[in-house]
Amino acid sequence: MKRLVGISLYPIGLLLILVATLAFFKVPVRDGLGLLYSGAVGDRFAWSRMAVKSTPMLLTGLGMVVAWRGGIYNIGGEGQFIVGGIFGGTVARFAVFTSHPWSPWLATSGILVACVAGGAAWAWLAGWLYLRRGVEVVISTILLNFIALQFLGYCCSGPLQEKAKQVPLTDALPDEVMLPKLSRQMDAHFGVVLAIMAALLIYTYLFRTRAGFRVRLVGENPRMARANRIDAGRAKIQAMVVSGALCGLAGGIEYLGMSGQLGTGFSQQWGFLGIPVALLGGLHPLACILSASVFGALLAGAENLARYTPTGSTLVYVIQAVAVLGYVGIKAYRDRLPAVEA
Amino acid sequence: MATLIVDNVFKRFGGVAALEAVSVEFRSGEIHAVLGENGAGKSTLMNVMSGFVRPDRGTVLLNGTSIPLGIAFACKQMGIEMIHQHFTLTPAFSVEENLALARLDRLATTIDTKALAGKALAIAKSLEWEVDPSARTGQLPVGVQQRIEILKALSGEAEVLIFDEPTAVLSPSEVEDLFRVLRRLRDEGKCLILIAHKLSEVLGVADWVTVLRNGRVVATAPRDEVDSDKLAFWMVGQMPDRASRSDSKERVDGLTVRSLSIKGDRGEASVSNATFEIRQGEILGFGGVDGNGQVELAETLAQIRKHSSGAVLWCGRPFGSDLPRIGYVPQDRQTDGLALRMSIRDNMLVSALHRPSFWSGPLIRAKQVGAWVDSLIDRFSIKAESGSDLTGKLSGGNQQKVIVSRILDDEPGLLVVLNPGRGLDIKATEYVYDVLLAARDRGAAIALFSTDLDELYSLSDRVLFMLRGQLVDATGASAMLGG
Repeated sequence: MKRLVGISLYPIGLLLILVATLAFFKVPVRDGLGLLYSGAVGDRFAWSRMAVKSTPMLLTGLGMVVAWRGGIYNIGGEGQFIVGGIFGGTVARFAVFTSHPWSPWLATSGILVACVAGGAAWAWLAGWLYLRRGVEVVISTILLNFIALQFLGYCCSGPLQEKAKQVPLTDALPDEVMLPKLSRQMDAHFGVVLAIMAALLIYTYLFRTRAGFRVRLVGENPRMARANRIDAGRAKIQAMVVSGALCGLAGGIEYLGMSGQLGTGFSQQWGFLGIPVALLGGLHPLACILSASVFGALLAGAENLARYTPTGSTLVYVIQAVAVLGYVGIKAYRDRLPAVEA
Repeated sequence: MATLIVDNVFKRFGGVAALEAVSVEFRSGEIHAVLGENGAGKSTLMNVMSGFVRPDRGTVLLNGTSIPLGIAFACKQMGIEMIHQHFTLTPAFSVEENLALARLDRLATTIDTKALAGKALAIAKSLEWEVDPSARTGQLPVGVQQRIEILKALSGEAEVLIFDEPTAVLSPSEVEDLFRVLRRLRDEGKCLILIAHKLSEVLGVADWVTVLRNGRVVATAPRDEVDSDKLAFWMVGQMPDRASRSDSKERVDGLTVRSLSIKGDRGEASVSNATFEIRQGEILGFGGVDGNGQVELAETLAQIRKHSSGAVLWCGRPFGSDLPRIGYVPQDRQTDGLALRMSIRDNMLVSALHRPSFWSGPLIRAKQVGAWVDSLIDRFSIKAESGSDLTGKLSGGNQQKVIVSRILDDEPGLLVVLNPGRGLDIKATEYVYDVLLAARDRGAAIALFSTDLDELYSLSDRVLFMLRGQLVDATGASAMLGG
């Protein structure tokens, strides 16, 4: 009962934050909330937008969950997302934009697998640097984000640029290669299902498999893992690779589900947005479905808000930041070391 | 003159009653020992008196004024200081900085560590303790760290000093010195409250004794009116039978260690040229004061630490990937033995990762694991509501049981054990000893590292001592221990 009351406080807190932020930026609170609501869940198109916005965040959020559970602080979701996209774009170059294109089904899966591999490889690099060279993952992943972004810029105006060589973008994928959609008018695509499946899979991995158990153990107490002859380095690398694979998958789904082409604006901060999703989800894969939906709804609602008021979608980032800070504060307060009884 | 009165205090954790209607009076100029089994409520009582735990009902009065219940910082300012079982020192700080930290009353201020630590260092001198103010605290032996913990408490205006199991980590000579200091503080008029689990120590130093059982006060009596039998009876109801040592007849080759040298964490030579044998079905005891290479040697035997030269062999051959099966009971159960924020189940599972019956493919067979965990909780009488309880919420004794149970159930061929009875009460200690002896009789080779001579001699078939990384026999050791 007490727990239920505690959980119900979160939406109330979120609402308060929404109201306060709107008021602070001098948006009429009632109208603002109405616009956010109708943009996020007002009709089926809004639902579809919300789902599509939540999907990449859910996947990158799951990536953060796995790495952080293993005690390895991956901040490089953004870079892994982008490198995933680059790998996918490269495969698309050979599978789609040639004189002998692969069958659409094969091309789609090939691109998706390449994206996963790209994200995993980029994360593995940071893990390897940590284990072999002692480079802090927080630092290396942030720097690898910049490298990935610059590399994407090079690819889009170099080897992967569209045929006419006029704009820094790759060729747009034909519709038959894109992920199937719910309907012609709606954005919602098969990637939404993939992301939810990924959440279930990651839950199973962390809490029902031997490998995931090792990852959690190493994250909770590396010294205890050592005393039980569990190879902490191996577990951490594994956590990092799985984490990167998820971020790469997020990139693949964005590429094949939404953008259809790569440009320097390919990732709309999806890698970074995974961090608040993971935190607000309490580092639990299933709770991340909920937290990603909340942020997805905010983003979708804010688009609506931006259409009617001068306040841009930046408002959402403010709301998000306040929500995460509030949550972290509450958690820090609640996790104060309990008195040990004996 | 100070009196601390605990008046009708109740406290529950989850469904378990830790304290029920507890009333005790502690007076200044006395050493008052509180005794009890694991989970009897000793530490909870201490935590209530020092403001770390807020009781559900009841009050605590210091000189007639109610203490600010549940607010440790304010209790400290009133003069109630607690010396914790697990030290509250900052390892990366120097001794001086740690002492100064305890006297820091505001955060936003310039800090003169020398001045803040001055009083504590002067007290150290008056107690005839040699303390190097610039030493890095984390690198000092536990005995010295405890002195710093005590100095921190004394440097305030402490009237009441609460010691939670202070002797658990100390060697016999260190215990003697601690008691000398306790008596002196008593004669200075302080009110001293002591939790100790060893009856002989309690009887040697206490003026009054209070016994708790299952969260209730069984009795409070002056020292002269009790003896160890009576106290033991109060604590456990009846004394458990002492484990009978059945000497095993058959002895098979087991562990052979030849001219082994090991480097410590800072690259220093921590063990040099150690040679010994432990046959299967034998307990070899390693005694000596903490910090003479025991942990390094134990970790090497348990295949956690690499050695720099020499050989470690099992049945004449180098260790294989699965032979022998090694069980390791580490010295510090909270940092090396358990993941405190994980469940009992997860903490037990650590030692069973290799068992085929618990896995199908990559998946855990939750039902089998759950049944196994329940059976261990039952067999080792671990006080918990279920296997999903966090180990961090268990009492120290029950935490040790989680470690020992998971390791012994694995039937290791080589068992490396450090201070297995540390911080445990009589019943739990007896139980752990019995299980160790049973493991020996089953044919395990056991390396027992202990700073407790009683423990060492009551369990070991042979005893060696460690002195600055060298192995010496008992004759050499008696000189080292001061006769």
